[in-house]
Amino acid sequence: MAAERDGSPTLNDAYAVDVARPLDGWEGAAFPATAKAAPGAPLLAIVVPPGRAPRARILAEQTGTALPGVLMPLAHGPLVLPDGRTVWAVVTDAPPGPSLAAVPRAWTENELLRHVVIPVGAALARLHASGVHHRGIRPDNLFAAAGQPCVLGPAWTEPPASRQPAVCEPPYSAMCLPCGRGEGAAGDDIYALGVTLIALVAGRLPLAGLDDAAVIRRKLDLGSFAALTGDLRLSPSIADLLRGMLADDPEHRPAAALLADPAALRARRAYVRPPRRAARALLVGAESVADGRSLAWAMARDPATAVRHLRSGVIEHWLRRELGDAPLAQAVEDALRQRRATATSPARADGLLLARAIAALDPLAPLCWDGLAWWPDATGSALAAAAPGDAARIVQAVAAEAPAAWAGARPERSDVHAIAAEARRQRALLATAPPAGGTDRLLYALCPLLPCAAPLLAGRAVARLADILPALEAAAADPARHRAPPLDTALTAFIAARSDQQGDGLAPLIERALAADRPPAPGDAAEADPARGALPPLAQLRLLAALQTRTRPGRLPLLAAWFLVQAAPVIATWQNTAARAAVQSRLTALAAEGVLAPMLAVLDDPAALAADAQGAQAARRQVAAIDAALRGLAAAGAARAEAALRLGQELAVGAGMMALATALARLALG
Amino acid sequence: MATATARRGSDGPAAPGSTPARRSGRRGRAGAPDPKSAPDGRSYLWLQGLVCGAVATLATPTAVLGLALFAPAVVAAMTERREGRPLTRVLALFGAAGGAGPLVHLWSGGHTLALALTLAGDPAVIGLAYALAGLGWLLSEVGPLVLRAAMEAQAAARAVRLRAARRRLSDAWSLAADPPGD
Repeated sequence: MAAERDGSPTLNDAYAVDVARPLDGWEGAAFPATAKAAPGAPLLAIVVPPGRAPRARILAEQTGTALPGVLMPLAHGPLVLPDGRTVWAVVTDAPPGPSLAAVPRAWTENELLRHVVIPVGAALARLHASGVHHRGIRPDNLFAAAGQPCVLGPAWTEPPASRQPAVCEPPYSAMCLPCGRGEGAAGDDIYALGVTLIALVAGRLPLAGLDDAAVIRRKLDLGSFAALTGDLRLSPSIADLLRGMLADDPEHRPAAALLADPAALRARRAYVRPPRRAARALLVGAESVADGRSLAWAMARDPATAVRHLRSGVIEHWLRRELGDAPLAQAVEDALRQRRATATSPARADGLLLARAIAALDPLAPLCWDGLAWWPDATGSALAAAAPGDAARIVQAVAAEAPAAWAGARPERSDVHAIAAEARRQRALLATAPPAGGTDRLLYALCPLLPCAAPLLAGRAVARLADILPALEAAAADPARHRAPPLDTALTAFIAARSDQQGDGLAPLIERALAADRPPAPGDAAEADPARGALPPLAQLRLLAALQTRTRPGRLPLLAAWFLVQAAPVIATWQNTAARAAVQSRLTALAAEGVLAPMLAVLDDPAALAADAQGAQAARRQVAAIDAALRGLAAAGAARAEAALRLGQELAVGAGMMALATALARLALG
Repeated sequence: MATATARRGSDGPAAPGSTPARRSGRRGRAGAPDPKSAPDGRSYLWLQGLVCGAVATLATPTAVLGLALFAPAVVAAMTERREGRPLTRVLALFGAAGGAGPLVHLWSGGHTLALALTLAGDPAVIGLAYALAGLGWLLSEVGPLVLRAAMEAQAAARAVRLRAARRRLSDAWSLAADPPGD
């Protein structure tokens, strides 16, 4: 990413983005862009909103793929905004004209078929054939030049259907968290297109003025076609078309390819058995329900009452006696039996009971857990965008392997083994101690392009391993940050998850650091904060040195200087003052070069550390001997006085004897 | 001369030749060995008295001159309580060195009481004897002090060397800066 001469930043060095002219009419930030290779073609750069997981699989597989009738992603990557923030952006072709919502009018049947149904159906057929579901079909995301066929707008920067109004989604998608609607089925695009057609015929979105819950309840009670069309006057051909497109079961909706041939489509009739209704309604909380799927929806909204009714047998009795649906009652009885056999906490057992019961009552319903609903393939994006309380509930569901229980209760509509295996994998990630596991690791493992949410990287869209070190180098420019270690739990978990996805093999480094380095690592006691789960400084340096070797971001002198500060406790473990000064000096010189691996080699030198420890041990022994000698000297004062007295007296006696001998000699010699 | 004391204090059996009055006379230092007692526990005081009496009777001039010459040693013997009586021994030796000449002169001059008194009254003779005794006393008292000062100086010098070595080690290995007790 670099800035062009005129000041416009570029995306992937291939697309110039005019960030000074944000475009109106887009819910997220969007800017006009041009390809450097073809400056004349107008393009669009759409910014991924913070906390939203872009559609990583589609961006990975379909970027650059040309599909007529759809604004496919041309490129994606980090982009620098004028305020200095880095964001993730997706470049697409610019829409050919205004959105259908921008020019509201009542469309004729002929216009609908020629400009919307047939071209969009063809585009969807190509899209579905590529394994992509659009999940963003609504009037303000369909674009057309005057008199030209419609083009599907982009839907790649956010989780599937997260921008869709509840009315545009099937009830089983609308009842989910906005970012938990999942990739869905091809039929969900058909449904959204059907709602769009009604909006075009009516000149406005249907069910306007109702809140989401009321829209869902109305669709569940009446069926989507009846709920959405109401008293709208439709031609028989359009009504037949819409009746098929708005079928509540996605399997009953026509394939996109059929939309290109309306005559064949009109001949297609799907028989849908109306839901069985009870003679006497059941009250679940504030909801009065008379059929199975309304009951499931009411249970999903009021889990406490639902669990109470389930455990007391009220619901089973109502299903059997009032609704007259013995198989459904038996399915609920099976869920209760499984709950009694589950050896887990009561809250978790109740959650699993509710998930199983709702799935049995309405196999089309998503996973429902403690008042929330989401499709299991959207667990990651739902977790990324959820409020803290909702996120905790999603994590509880993952910990309980709720998706496996949900799939097991609707085996005819799920790949039970695949979902159960994925649920086990997610639970294992969650159960692993942070930062190698935990919620952060789960989140980044499930959202391959979700930028790291570490506070240190605020304002920088770090979504790939290669983006980490440049971002840390930029963050290291503020010396005030050097007091804390560079890698917190979120960033370490992010590295582990991305390493898994990119096959860089860094995750074992983290796990080894936690398993082996952590207790005895030099400096660990000074730095490690179990509450934060941060790695010790040496392990962080090891990890980032490996990352620098793999991603080759160039020299990182500021980050190296950061580690120079962080390594102080590690350097302090060298007991020989001269060796410590030498290590400090070498690290300072290496930090200036900005390469982490040589710094690691200096700090992580077991042979030198062992020699240092042995030398320190010998020095301690010598000091102990000196201290003992000093103590002996201090204690020997009385002994010295006694010896001096005795010796002095002996010397005096000797002198006396010499004097006597001298006197006698003089007498003898005359 | 000093009186004899009981070897084992008041609780022990009486030494042979001691009287009950003598046994109780040094009860305050019971347990301390009596320098006048023989190693086998018997007092030789009576023998010393016998010798002194014999000398005074049979060689009165020698006794008179010896008493004059050896007066410092005699006083020290009567007053010194230290084990081994080191001062008495030193004074006796130096007294002997100073008195050997006058005694030989007495014995070679006829060994008369008059000559003994003349020599005892000669300030040069007495002065030399007492000066040597004073020198002996000085050596006995000052010598230990000088030696102790020398020993303390030697110990202090060694302590300085040890502390310097310790400081070098503690500086080099980041150990405790001060030895225990500093």
